[in-house]
Amino acid sequence: MEIRIENLTKAYGDFKAIDNMNLTIADGDLVGLLGPSGCGKSTTLFMLAGLNKPTAGRIFFGEHEVTDIAPEDRGIGLVFQNYALYPHMTVEDNIMFPLINRKVPKNEARDRAYEMAKMVQLEGLMKRKPKALSGGQQQRVAIARALVKKPEVLLLDEPLSNLDAKLRVETREEIRRIQQEVKITTIFVTHDQEEAMSISDKIAVMEKGVLQQYEVPQKMYLNPGNLFVATFLGTPQINVFDAEVHDGKIYCAGNMLRSGCMVPDGSYKGGIRPESFNVTLLPSAPDAIRAEASHVRMTGRELQIRFNLGANEFRLLVHSDMQIGVGTPFYLTTREKQILLFGQDGKTVGKF
Amino acid sequence: MEKKSMKGYLYLAPALIIILIFTIYPLIRAFMLSFMEDYNLVNGSYKGINLENYIDIFQDRHFIKALTNTGIYVVFVVPCSIALSLIIAVLLNSHIRFQGVFQTIFFLPYVTSTIAIGIVWGWIFNSDYGLLNQLLSWFGIKSIPWLTSKQYALPSLIIFSIWKSMAFDILIFLAGLQTISEDLYNAARVDSTPRWRVFWRITVPGIGPMISYAFVMGMINAFKVYNEVYALFRGKNGPAGSANTVVFYIYDKFYNQSKYGEASAAAVILFLIVLGLTIIQRTLTGKKE
Ligand SMILES: Nc1ncnc2c1ncn2[C@@H]1O[C@H](COP(=O)(O)OP(=O)(O)OP(=O)(O)O)[C@@H](O)[C@H]1O
Ligand SMILES: [Mg+2]
Repeated sequence: MEIRIENLTKAYGDFKAIDNMNLTIADGDLVGLLGPSGCGKSTTLFMLAGLNKPTAGRIFFGEHEVTDIAPEDRGIGLVFQNYALYPHMTVEDNIMFPLINRKVPKNEARDRAYEMAKMVQLEGLMKRKPKALSGGQQQRVAIARALVKKPEVLLLDEPLSNLDAKLRVETREEIRRIQQEVKITTIFVTHDQEEAMSISDKIAVMEKGVLQQYEVPQKMYLNPGNLFVATFLGTPQINVFDAEVHDGKIYCAGNMLRSGCMVPDGSYKGGIRPESFNVTLLPSAPDAIRAEASHVRMTGRELQIRFNLGANEFRLLVHSDMQIGVGTPFYLTTREKQILLFGQDGKTVGKF
Repeated sequence: MEKKSMKGYLYLAPALIIILIFTIYPLIRAFMLSFMEDYNLVNGSYKGINLENYIDIFQDRHFIKALTNTGIYVVFVVPCSIALSLIIAVLLNSHIRFQGVFQTIFFLPYVTSTIAIGIVWGWIFNSDYGLLNQLLSWFGIKSIPWLTSKQYALPSLIIFSIWKSMAFDILIFLAGLQTISEDLYNAARVDSTPRWRVFWRITVPGIGPMISYAFVMGMINAFKVYNEVYALFRGKNGPAGSANTVVFYIYDKFYNQSKYGEASAAAVILFLIVLGLTIIQRTLTGKKE
């Protein structure tokens, strides 16, 4: 089921929690709705679910406008941030509940619940109460309950936020697997950019109620539409520096980083990712920049090195076999097409 | 270890001593008195140790009447108060306007003296110009002598007590309702749950412990009903004793008739009933956990 959001706005008094959002989600896609806390992710999801009334704008599921349709008639499955399992019912009753409410005969409801439970690997836990389950198991119950009524849209609100790091990775793969198996259009809210990038077909990044960019993960990472998206994606964060452009050359604190750029002269914000440097201990090219490591951190797979160019601090990542300590001078160049320039308004000007 | 627990008992000592003097001692004393035939409070003499007092009260039709009245009272007041309170608490909790005002209104009886409320209800129940009969007359029901006939005295007492005990029940149910997550109700909406099923499957289990607490406390208090009778019938136990209750009977035996043994025997019977019901209730709810 395709989802189309048109000029969606939600205002609380003067405050706009969602400001004129437009978004189309293709049938069968898993979209990660990503943004910092308080940016309006849950608000968007609740409006899609019908639990929250939009102030303005329209929502379509396929051909049908659902803006004024009650939650129970929208054909959605919703997984809450805290799972919201019915605490006094067994796992079986929890999963059967939406079917019983839809007057499905009890035997059929039970069969479908067990079928669902098998898919999310909950067999053997059906007679337990939610309290007696681990976080990951509860989450699977919540997914089973959301999917058992065969909804056409699945909405998940930060479903992994209560899990530990290892379980998070496992469960997100599982969500992806289930989503692909059922081929259901899914919106997955998270504030974890890595999580969003690793399982989504497309990512929608939001800030302060405004949709910033909607793109395939790799494209968004490589071509962020603005400074916010660039800084929000990636760990360690992208390096942001004061850039000057003269005669098509990009400078940072007097060091020329790139030449031959078709950009008007002036001041910009530059951005370069930590993994986009070429580092050598001896000059590798005539225009290589000399720098000294101010901090070195060994993370296992790679070394994280901090250095300064003028007042700008940078982080870079190199393979951990590189022999660099604090104070060691080294030479660096930047990989092609890896320097981003942002205008004063934060919009991306180009990639060089 | 040993030392530590000694210290703990020391801290508890003042409370324990007070409980011992004012609760345990009277209990034992009443228990002993109940077996003493014709006990004399002035010189402490008695005819003998036997079951005479128990035999006497069970042959006393006033006691039997008081016991059945109390039984009927408990059976009506406790469940009705809980059911009505539950409905009102749910309504109060559903983001209505003037919520605070309504909460205050319903809670007023709890903080007001029973005597004062009794006076007000005395007017409400008045057969000639009372509010209740006025109300009933709109439905074509003839004036009912609420407080002055033997037939209606107990029902009047029950209506009055239901209204009065609702305050406490509403209060704890409201507190309980706030602990049920809003998301559960949202989930129920997405799952197209009919309202009545939301009530029975989410709301009621959600405040289950509060309901069972209200039930136990309500029952214990209802068995001890005295103030309400006193307030409603101006110190009497209803026309021709028609609204007599066990505690009222005990009080009357002890202070008005100086039958200390019989009063104590009735008190012991009441104690055993309450104890028995509490044990039953505890084992029943204990099993469910
Ligand atoms: N009922 C309300 N009244 C006023 N403001 C609200 C209300 N509900 C939400 N907001 C505001 O709307 C904004 C968006 O809230 P929302 O819950 O959608 O954030 P979120 O992106 O889901 O954040 P998180 O990641 O912390 O869950 C927040 O600034 C919040 O304070
Ligand atoms: Mg949220």
